[in-house]
Amino acid sequence: MKNLPSPPTPRGTPGPHRAPPSPSPVPGPVPVPGTAPRRTVLRWAAAAGALATAGTATACAGGRAASVRTSGPVTLSLWTHDQGYQDFFARSVPRADRATRFSYRLRVTRAGAQDLVTKLLAQAVAGRGTPDLMGFEIGNFARMLRGDLSARLLRDWTEDVAPLGDDLLAARRAPYTVDGRLYALDSDTPATVYYYRDDLLSKYGIPADLGTWEEVARAGARLYDKHRVSLGAVSTGSDLNQVVQLFAILLYQRGGALFDAHAHPTLDSPEAEETLRFICDGLRTGFLVDVADFYGPSMQTALKRGSVAGLWMASWYKTFGLQPNVPEQSGRWRIRALPRFSAGGGRTSVAGGTGFTAITGKANTEAGAGFLSATWLTEEAQIRRYRELGYLPTRRSVFRSPELLALEDTFCGGQRLFEVYAPLVDHVPAYYQSPDQSILMDVLSGYLIRAYRGDLSPREALRRATSDFRAQASR
Amino acid sequence: MTSIPADRLRDPRSLPPRATTIGGRAAGPRRGPARAPYVFIAPFYVLYVLFMVVPILVAVYLSLCEWVGLGPPHWVGPRNYAHLLTDVSFHRALGNTGVYVLVSVLVIVPVALMMAQGLNARGLRARDLFRVAFFIPMVVSPIVVALIFSLVFDRQFGLANSVLRAVFGLGGFDWLGDPTLAKVCIGLIMLWRWAGYLTIFFLAGLQNVPRSLYEAAELDGAGRFVTFTAVTLPALKPVTGFVAVTSFISAAQIFDEPFLLTHGGPGDATLSVAMFIYRAAFERQQFGYAAAAGVVLFVLVFTISQIFNRLLGIGRAS
Repeated sequence: MKNLPSPPTPRGTPGPHRAPPSPSPVPGPVPVPGTAPRRTVLRWAAAAGALATAGTATACAGGRAASVRTSGPVTLSLWTHDQGYQDFFARSVPRADRATRFSYRLRVTRAGAQDLVTKLLAQAVAGRGTPDLMGFEIGNFARMLRGDLSARLLRDWTEDVAPLGDDLLAARRAPYTVDGRLYALDSDTPATVYYYRDDLLSKYGIPADLGTWEEVARAGARLYDKHRVSLGAVSTGSDLNQVVQLFAILLYQRGGALFDAHAHPTLDSPEAEETLRFICDGLRTGFLVDVADFYGPSMQTALKRGSVAGLWMASWYKTFGLQPNVPEQSGRWRIRALPRFSAGGGRTSVAGGTGFTAITGKANTEAGAGFLSATWLTEEAQIRRYRELGYLPTRRSVFRSPELLALEDTFCGGQRLFEVYAPLVDHVPAYYQSPDQSILMDVLSGYLIRAYRGDLSPREALRRATSDFRAQASR
Repeated sequence: MTSIPADRLRDPRSLPPRATTIGGRAAGPRRGPARAPYVFIAPFYVLYVLFMVVPILVAVYLSLCEWVGLGPPHWVGPRNYAHLLTDVSFHRALGNTGVYVLVSVLVIVPVALMMAQGLNARGLRARDLFRVAFFIPMVVSPIVVALIFSLVFDRQFGLANSVLRAVFGLGGFDWLGDPTLAKVCIGLIMLWRWAGYLTIFFLAGLQNVPRSLYEAAELDGAGRFVTFTAVTLPALKPVTGFVAVTSFISAAQIFDEPFLLTHGGPGDATLSVAMFIYRAAFERQQFGYAAAAGVVLFVLVFTISQIFNRLLGIGRAS
C-alpha cells in the first residue's frame, strides 16, 4: 500500500508542536500571583496533548511497512466472508510453518463479502488496520477494478505464478487480472455441471444422457405436462446477482459473455439472445421453473417436493446447496457435463469464485504471500482444499491426480465426480470482470425478469439492458 | 435570606462589593459574564461544525470530484451533476422516492390520525395495550421486518398468496417481482412501521384539545364529522404540520425497506435515492457521483421541507 499524500501545512499555520499564539492585544485581566503555576500546568497539558495527537497521526500515516518481516513468528490478520476458509487456513498453519521460514498465527475477521471490501478501503484511507490476507468474493473484486485500487492495495502475483505457466488455469486468472497483472489467487475452478435426480429421471423414463439442451427441453416439457416436474430452475427474486447468475451460466456455455477481456460489455449478442429465448421458452413450457431464492427456502421446498429433478449449477453447489438443503436425498443425485446447445458453445460454464491475496506494502506482506503460496497453490493444498471445502483445483495437472480421480462421492451415489470434471477443465470459459459490473447486474436483472414474464421479447430486453448500462456506466 | 432595599438595587455603587478573588486570584469580572454563555454552548457548536458542517462541505467538494475511495480525488467540476441529469436510474430513484413520500404524507399520516382518533375515544379499554401494540413495529429491527415480510410476500410459499388463495381463490401474485406490486409492498411496510409511531404524536395532540371546544360544538349541534373538521383538525394543525414534515423527510431518505426487501429491484423498480447513493458509493466506488446525488437529495429535501414549514406555519404562534 502506498502512502497517501498528506495535505501540506500552510506556512505559519500553527501546528501541534508550535507555541501557543501570543496573547491577544485586547487588554485582559492583569495577571496576579498565583496564576502562573496553573498556566504552566495548562501549557504542559496542551503540549502533552499535542504530542499525543502528533504521535497518533504519525502512527496512522506511517504505521505500515515499518520493517518487512522475513522470518520468525508472525501473526497474520486474515479477513474472509466464509467460515470454511477460516477453518481451512487454520488447519493449514502447521504445513505453512514447515514450508516457509515463518511461524504463523492467524487472527481472523469474518464479515459479509461486500462489507469486507468497504472496510478494507476505509482502513486504507485511515492508513492502518488493513488485513495481511484477504479473500474477495468474485463479484466484489469488481469494485477493486475501479481506478488504481488493485495496484495500490493488492500484492501483484504475476511473477510468482509465472513458473506455473499454463498449469494455473488462465480462465481463473482472468477475473482477478488488471492491466495484465494478477492480483488474487482463486479458490476454485467453479465449472458448471448438470445435477439430476437419478431416481426421478429413471422413474419418469427420462434418459440422463440427452446430448443437447433442446432435447432436454422437449423431454422436460413433456415431464412437466404429465407430472409437474421441471428439469431446471432460474431465479426471479430480489437477489439481483442471483437472477443474472443463472442466466449467465448458460450464456457463457453458449459462447457469450457479459464482458470481454477489455471489460467492454458484450451482452448485445446473438448468443445472449438465443440463451434468453431458450430460458423464456423453458419457463412457458414448464421445462424450467422460476424460484424466488435459488439458495433459500423456495428452492429448498422445490427440491424437497421433487418438483425440480435437475438443474445447472457450479461444482460447489453440491456442497453448499444440495447437501445442506436436502440431506435426505443423499445417494439420489448425479452430475454430468452440461448438455450442449445445438447452435454451438462449450461443454461447461462457470459461476462463482473467491480470490485470496496479500495486502501490499505491509510488514507482513511477504509472510502473507508465503502462507498463501504454501496453502493455496501446491498440489497437496489443492487436493486437500477439494476434500475439505469442495472447491475444484485451479491447476490443470491436479485434475489428473489419481487421488482425486479415485474419489467416490456418497451424496452422488458413489459417482467418481472427477471423471466428469477432469475432461471439462480445458473448456472452462474465462470470466472477465469490469468495474461497471454492478451496474450491469442491476439493470440486466430487471430486464431478465421482464423477459421471463413475457413482458418483453428477449431481443428487446437485452437491447434495453445494454442501453441502460451504457447510459449509467463510466460515470 | 437577607433582602436588599429596592433603592439600593437601583444604584450599583450601593451594592456590597462582589467577591473579586476565587482561590486567591482575580475572578475576571469583566470577561466572565460576557463569555460565559458562549463557553457553555460552545461544545455543541464545536461538535456541530466538526460532524455536520465539515462533512457537508466535504460532500459538496467531493460531488465536484471523481473519487474511487482511495488516493486523491480528481476535480471534474459539475460533470457529476450533468450525468445525474441524464441518468435514467437516478430519475427512477427520484420517481420511486416521490411515490414513497406521497404514500407517507397522503396515506400514513391520515391513517395515523384516524388511529389516534380511535385511541382517544372515550371509554376505550386497554388503551395502553393498543398504544404499545401500534408502537412495536417502530422498534423492531428492520432486518427482522424484512425477513418477516419477505416470507409474507413470497410468491410461491408466502402468507399473502396463501390467504388470498384460501379466501378468494386468487393467488400467484409476484409481490416482490412485479415492479408495481413491489412498490405496493414497500408502501405497506412503511404503513405498518410508521403509522403507530406517528399515532403517538397525534394522540398527544388530541389529548391537549380543550374539552370546552367539543362541548361548544355539541351545543351548536355539530355532528361527529363537523366536530372533527371544525374542532379537531384546526386544533391539531401544529402537530399535523410537524408530523407531515418529519414524515416527508423520513420518506425522502428511505433506505431500509427497499434495500432489505427488494434490493431496489426488480430492476430499479423500488430503488430510492438513498439507495442509489449507497449503491454508487459502496458497490460501484463512485464516491463523487454518490456525493452529487446526496447534495441533490439534500437540496430537494431542504427546499420542500421549508415550503412545507411556510405553508403549515410550523413553529409560528397561531
